[in-house]
Amino acid sequence: MKITIDHLTKDFGSTIAVNDFSAVIESGELIALLGPSGCGKSTMLNMISGILPSSTGHIYFDEDDVTDVAPEKRGVGLVFQNYALYPHMTVLENIAFPLEIKKVKKAEREAKAIEMAKLVHVDMLLDRKPKQLSGGQQQRVAIARALIKNPRVLLLDEPLSNLDARLRIEMREEIRRIQQETQVTTIFVTHDQEEAMSISDHIVLMKDGFLQQVARPQELYDEPANCFVADFLGNPPINKTHGVIKGGKIVLDGGCEVELEAAKNLPEGKKVTLSMRAEAIVIDEELKNTEGTVVETYVMGKEVLAYVSLGDYKVRAYIPAEKNFGKGQKVTVGLKKRGVFVFDEETGARLA
Amino acid sequence: MSTRTTGKKKGISLSRKIEPYLYLAPFAIGVLVFTLYPIINVVLLSFKEGYNFITKDFTSWGFGNYLYVLKDSYFLQAYKNTFMYVFVVIPISTCLSVVIATLLNQKIKFSSLFQTAYFLPMVTSTIAIGFAWRFMFNYKSGVINYLLSFFGVEAINWLQVPQYNFPALCIYGIWAILPFTIILLLSGLQNIDPMYYTAAKVDGAGPIKSFFRITLPLLAPTIFLVLCVNTISTFKVYNELFPLFQGAGIANNMFTVVYYIYYQFRVKSPARYGYAAAAAVLLFITVFIFTMIQRWVEAKTKN
Ligand SMILES: Nc1ncnc2c1ncn2[C@@H]1O[C@H](COP(=O)(O)OP(=O)(O)O)[C@@H](O)[C@H]1O
Ligand SMILES: [Mg+2]
Repeated sequence: MKITIDHLTKDFGSTIAVNDFSAVIESGELIALLGPSGCGKSTMLNMISGILPSSTGHIYFDEDDVTDVAPEKRGVGLVFQNYALYPHMTVLENIAFPLEIKKVKKAEREAKAIEMAKLVHVDMLLDRKPKQLSGGQQQRVAIARALIKNPRVLLLDEPLSNLDARLRIEMREEIRRIQQETQVTTIFVTHDQEEAMSISDHIVLMKDGFLQQVARPQELYDEPANCFVADFLGNPPINKTHGVIKGGKIVLDGGCEVELEAAKNLPEGKKVTLSMRAEAIVIDEELKNTEGTVVETYVMGKEVLAYVSLGDYKVRAYIPAEKNFGKGQKVTVGLKKRGVFVFDEETGARLA
Repeated sequence: MSTRTTGKKKGISLSRKIEPYLYLAPFAIGVLVFTLYPIINVVLLSFKEGYNFITKDFTSWGFGNYLYVLKDSYFLQAYKNTFMYVFVVIPISTCLSVVIATLLNQKIKFSSLFQTAYFLPMVTSTIAIGFAWRFMFNYKSGVINYLLSFFGVEAINWLQVPQYNFPALCIYGIWAILPFTIILLLSGLQNIDPMYYTAAKVDGAGPIKSFFRITLPLLAPTIFLVLCVNTISTFKVYNELFPLFQGAGIANNMFTVVYYIYYQFRVKSPARYGYAAAAAVLLFITVFIFTMIQRWVEAKTKN
């Protein structure tokens, strides 16, 4: 089912949690709703589920306007961050509960619950109480409970944040598998960029209630729409420097001149942010855009992490292990096309 | 820790060991002197036949007191009244409290006002409130008969006509026990994570379904606690008799077990301490058995 979010806003008195948000989520996709803590992801999700009324704007499921439809009538399956499994019910009863509410006959709903339990691989735990399950197992049960009604959309709010690192990776693959098997449109909230990149078809990135960009994970990484997106994605974090356009070059604070094809068309005197991914920087090779000084090097096995000073800034770059630079050595610095971005320093908008 | 200990260190650790007991001592001594010793004494006393309070003489050990009490029509009436009182007050007050606490737990307007109103009786003395109820039960000018008149019920002489004494006591007893019960249940309700309700709501559960399928099971431990505490306290019904009936009622029809105990050593002359002690032990055994049954039921329902 396609979800269309149309100029959606939610304000809680003074704080505007979601601000004039518009996006389209295609049917059958797994979408990661990504953003830093407190940016309005849960608020967004709760408005889609109907738990929270929106202030203004509309939500459409396919062609139906569901903005004012009660949560139980929207056909959404919800998975909570701490699972919200009913502690007094067994796994089987928990999974079957949504059908129990719908007054489905006991034999029928249990058969369906067992089918769901098999899908999420908890069919050997049916008689246990939630307390007797590990975090990952509780998570699976919560997903089964959300899926048993054949929801039109599955919503998960930071479903992995209560799990330890290894389980997190296992469970995100599981969520991907379950989503692929059921083909249910899924929105997955996370503040972890790596989680979002590895699992989703599209990432919806938001900040302070505003939509930043909707794109495929690789596209988001390669073609960030603004400075925030470039900052938010990538590990190690992108190298961020500030400067001004002078004579078709970028002059960084501290006087370092960077020749950049993309800078040639920018207006003289414009303040810009030059962001460079570590893997886009080459040192002492044919490609040459500027010069810098090696400040520090760390041997990391197959390559060397070098800190190179460009004006007032120190940028991270990787250099092949066989090349050996001493501290203080002057080097030429080249910038590849891919992974180097120029943003308007004031607005953060992408210039090149 | 090192195993080498100097004499001085030993002294410190010894006083350290004793210290906690010193803090506990005042309370422990209090319990021993004012609770444990009297209890043992009562049990012993109940087996002493022909006990004389002044000389502390008694004629023999035996079951004489028990045989007397168990044949005494006042005791049998007291036992029956007490049982009926427990069986009327506990279920009604518990159900009412669950409903009221659930309503108070909603985000309603003036909820703090309601909460104060419900808890006020807790900080007021039983006797003072009892007298207020005595006025409310008044045949001619009582507000209860006034209210009943709207429903076409003829004025009832609650306190002077024996057959209405017991209902009057129960009404008052239920009312008096509500605040405490509601407080406990409300704290139990507030411990239920609201996300369970959200989850159920998304799945389409209405308020009634949520109440029976989520609230009630998650509140069960608190309900059992309330049942246990209230059963014990209602078995000891006694205070309530004085403001309403100045004792056991005009026809001596309102005996309760604790009132019977009081009657044997305070009203009757000469006082019969042995009978009172035997009645007290019988009450203890009854309450004990009941509490055990409740715990057994609670353990059963948990699984
Ligand atoms: N019920 C509420 N009342 C007032 N402010 C709220 C409420 N819920 C969320 N907020 C505010 O809205 C913003 C977004 O919150 P939330 O959607 O929970 O963020 P996220 O899930 O991305 O961490 C935060 O600033 C938060 O303080
Ligand atoms: Mg959140």
